[in-house]
Amino acid sequence: MKQTQRFALLTLLNREMLRRGSWCGETHIQKATYFLQELLGVDLGFEFILYKHGPFSFELRDELLSMQADQLLELAVRQPGYGPTYVPTSFGVTFQERFPSTTSRYSEQVQFVADEMGNRGVVELEKLATAFFIVDREGIKHFERRAQRLVDLKPHVSMAEARWATEIVDELIAKSRQVSLREIEEDSA
Amino acid sequence: MTKLFHEIRDPIHVFIHLNWYEKMVLDSRPFQRLRNITQLALTYLLYPGATHKRFEHSLGVMELAGRVFEVITKPANVTDEVRELLPDLGNPDALSYWKQVLRMAALCHDVGHLPFSHAAEDELLPKGWSHERLSRLLIESDEMRTIWKSMVPPLEPEHIVKLAVGARKAKDLRFSKWEAILSEIIVGDAFGVDRIDYLLRDSHHTGVGYGKFDHYRLVDELRILPSFDGSTEPALGINGGGIYSAEALALARYFMFSQVYYHSIRLIYDHHLKDFLSVWLSRDSLLSEGTFPTDVEGHLRITDDEVNAAMRLAASAPNLRGHRPASCIMRHSHFKVLYEKNPQDAKVHSDPGAAIANAAEIEFGTEAIRYSKPRVKNVAPDFPVRGRDGRIQPAISASETLSKLQPTSQEYVFVDPQLRAKAKSWLNNNQDTILAKAQREEQEDEKHEADPKIRPTHPAEP
Repeated sequence: MKQTQRFALLTLLNREMLRRGSWCGETHIQKATYFLQELLGVDLGFEFILYKHGPFSFELRDELLSMQADQLLELAVRQPGYGPTYVPTSFGVTFQERFPSTTSRYSEQVQFVADEMGNRGVVELEKLATAFFIVDREGIKHFERRAQRLVDLKPHVSMAEARWATEIVDELIAKSRQVSLREIEEDSA
Repeated sequence: MTKLFHEIRDPIHVFIHLNWYEKMVLDSRPFQRLRNITQLALTYLLYPGATHKRFEHSLGVMELAGRVFEVITKPANVTDEVRELLPDLGNPDALSYWKQVLRMAALCHDVGHLPFSHAAEDELLPKGWSHERLSRLLIESDEMRTIWKSMVPPLEPEHIVKLAVGARKAKDLRFSKWEAILSEIIVGDAFGVDRIDYLLRDSHHTGVGYGKFDHYRLVDELRILPSFDGSTEPALGINGGGIYSAEALALARYFMFSQVYYHSIRLIYDHHLKDFLSVWLSRDSLLSEGTFPTDVEGHLRITDDEVNAAMRLAASAPNLRGHRPASCIMRHSHFKVLYEKNPQDAKVHSDPGAAIANAAEIEFGTEAIRYSKPRVKNVAPDFPVRGRDGRIQPAISASETLSKLQPTSQEYVFVDPQLRAKAKSWLNNNQDTILAKAQREEQEDEKHEADPKIRPTHPAEP
């Protein structure tokens, strides 16, 4: 995918998340993009590693910075004392509309992520993204072991919260099958 | 009697203190090589004072890293909440170990730099290599391992690597919260001492006063703080009293990038140097094909000195390979700016510089045109700030100055000076047509976009 198409998709994701009431700080965008790429299979070309707030991509951070520099996105302070929000500029919206094929092609996947993640806060997103990383990247399948792994990685998360996150992730995987571009392995467990 | 502690005079930090083990690293071949690697590549052709080396910068980074560590781990500066998140803060042995790891990492963070530092890194190393990966190779080399093992307590090379290159460049390594904070001390976007030292030092040597700021106050006010976004992840932040120094750091960075690091003449000299190196590397049988070597001995063998000698020779006779770029550098006859990105042009086409460079290459030939689009830098990254009332808030909310500092993107097209007048006239007559054509092509590409790739894997249903 070309950088311009990626910019258009990230702008669309940002707009759809804002429409669902997301705060759209960097963590919200990072986790939503993570699910868009890794769960929904939209190949944006970012590399996610497990870092301070769960799965994180330095390349995505650079891309958001480039979008700011190109005046497609801006950081707005919505409420003193709270983190800033990414908001597409009017030029960003015009720019996104120059890529109707790309945005309509991935529209279902973007809507899915916005529907599922748009109303969640940082703490929930961090837990869910890490829980998905555990099953996706670390390949752990057993429910309790996955929950325990989440607690090991994030000691501030209680076992009950970890079970909740693991359960939600299983539901997300099941629901995403309708729209995911990733091929689905049959359950071999 | 063997001296256990050493002091080195420094124009920025006055004295830099080293212990016995740090002196061993200083005397090692990887570190001594940095005496012959200029910090700012060929910037001295533009700012004659900028002949300083990675050697003294690395010493400065170590000095600052030690000072920051002292401040942020001082018991009075650590809250119970943070102490609970980072248990090492309450363990004197662990603190002593990690302070030494941090200082060694700071000392070694640049040992992997190629000749002339960043100038040629992207295209003149094999795919997958960077100077950070070379630094890692050297830190883990037999020569350096001997030093790490001889220490009391011995240092784990992987710990030094993590702090020296950070998570961005060591993606295969998993960082604990504590390691992530310590690596931020060196490579962090907000308060990394690497950038604090290079801004101060480069400003001093170039004579560009913008890079100076009150780093004493800044360092004194640094703290480990909980994040402001509801997550419990700690980050390197600052007390409210230090916010003005943090603003000054961001402004220094903004001005140094626009006036020095991304100055158009510096960027074109980087191109000439890269052009020369690609010829020089592909003809020397001692070196790997067209790229710098990535083995320890090969890396240690090449410094600015070898490249300078080769450039001087190549510039002396037109029949020698690499003559053209070498003489551009040696005779100060660099290419000139044909086009500089205008934000209005970007509204017509997303990459106006690239579109103009492509058209200019067709018109004047690829040898006569060079295109430069330096990476966008974040001059004002966000970080937590603790106000007088103890409340944590993001810097961008605490400081109007920081909230106004926006990243900027630059693009330049350069042309052979002999063709400059002709090329300027050509561009005046054709720029609008070139950009409009590029926009049409972008729209055509969008219409004919191929089907999405199908990714091969998906987690099995648990």
